[in-house]
Amino acid sequence: MRGLTAVRGTLTVDLAVPLWRTLPWRALAAAGALGLLVAGFPLVTGAEPAPWQTLMLLRGAALVGALGLAFLLDDPARHLTAPVPTPRLLRQALRVALVAPLAALWWTAVLLLTPVASRPPAGGVTLEALAVGALALAAAALAVRLTDEARPGPFVAAFLLFTAVLAPLLAPEDWALFVQADDPRWSVGHDRWAVLAAAVAVLGAGCGPEPSGRRRGR
Amino acid sequence: MTPTVSASGLGLSYGRTRALDDVSLRLTPGVTGLLGPNGAGKTTLLRVLATAVPADRGAFTVLGHDPGTSRGRQEVRRRLGYLPQTPGFHPDFTAFEFVDYVAILKELADRRERHREVRRVLAEVDLGDVRGRRIKKLSGGMRQRVALAAALVGDPGFLVLDEPTVGLDPEQRMRFRELIAGAGEGRTVLLSTHQTEDVAMLCHRVIVMAAGTVCFDGTPAELTARAAGRVWSSTEKDPGAKAGWRTGTGSFRNVGDPPPGAEPAEPTLEDGYLLALDDAGTEVAA
Repeated sequence: MRGLTAVRGTLTVDLAVPLWRTLPWRALAAAGALGLLVAGFPLVTGAEPAPWQTLMLLRGAALVGALGLAFLLDDPARHLTAPVPTPRLLRQALRVALVAPLAALWWTAVLLLTPVASRPPAGGVTLEALAVGALALAAAALAVRLTDEARPGPFVAAFLLFTAVLAPLLAPEDWALFVQADDPRWSVGHDRWAVLAAAVAVLGAGCGPEPSGRRRGR
Repeated sequence: MTPTVSASGLGLSYGRTRALDDVSLRLTPGVTGLLGPNGAGKTTLLRVLATAVPADRGAFTVLGHDPGTSRGRQEVRRRLGYLPQTPGFHPDFTAFEFVDYVAILKELADRRERHREVRRVLAEVDLGDVRGRRIKKLSGGMRQRVALAAALVGDPGFLVLDEPTVGLDPEQRMRFRELIAGAGEGRTVLLSTHQTEDVAMLCHRVIVMAAGTVCFDGTPAELTARAAGRVWSSTEKDPGAKAGWRTGTGSFRNVGDPPPGAEPAEPTLEDGYLLALDDAGTEVAA
């Protein structure tokens, strides 16, 4: 058993290098650059935004970053590598793990680019960004599980954009998901963001394992 | 002989469409051809046997393992090579890097042995000299050979090839036939194709599918024999023929039930294939 674990460990390390090269760097870089531009807009223009405007910019940057993550599970060689013994969940988790440190650095930069005077509490807005990123990854994992598309990224990004437009309009008012930082419901709203982030993370992880060989009638 | 693959009652539906309907078969070492028109269920059957999609109904084993269980599926995948219809590549990888990537996914853990194995399969498909070239710089035929090398890495006991010669020029197709024939020595190969010549030249056995079911399972000679006495020549296309076409000599070759006094012609595998489809109720008019 220990030998098997060691072999798995060696393979995971060996897999990290080619997997790193298969990541959708163009989409990630474009989303990253655009997110920095959005967050750095006041710095570039010398504007002094109100707190609600800074919050909007941060939410916009988080959405742009999530749009990049929507492409993370795209794999042009998907059909050729479908029936391999290395589990799909491991491959997907490794992709997320490879990008996670960069995403954390990027988000830190996004936060630092916004004016200190009008910056909302970092914890709350980071939780929102985490939830939107997790939603993008869960949607991508769901698309991989339910479709044969090798590159579901564009569809996932479109879904995410659509959701981002509709969610503020359709989410119940008392959920308080999109309140301002000075709103007394900020804290309660972010409890809900935490639940949302956890739920989509579980959904995404649940989509990773491949369906069993038996569906019915056996 | 113990079959490599043994399947009974396999079924798979997409909505109301039955892509596979009660398919049973046994595959033994050697190359088995899988013929059928578009939409017959060939690719679906290959994907099910390759464990890329699960079947709705029925059961099968590959090399004694049941892919219906998680452990069994892992074991099958360790012994499987799969070349899909549209392989898809990471174009910036070299041929070596790509096959090595697949080898890692196939759990070839020892790096030195794995690299040796990757070099071996690339040499086997005649890509040893270009193994350091990026895939985006390779021709279509070369890319297809990279995909075959990826399927062959790890020396699988069961090889599933989905229309590997599509889009190749005649010379490349001949080369590919040689490679498949070589791959079929000592292992079980299931080859889906639209080319009856591929089957005639490579396969010890042929399965014909129509509308998700198996409508013929036998040797190529038996499939050809099915057309014995049911192929004839005429100066005009026979309206009673199931299929008929003008040949290079100007006469018509007809397949079906010949009229009295018809001039019989030598049947081919393709004639037998057309009649097998016709007997299964599939439109074959040519």
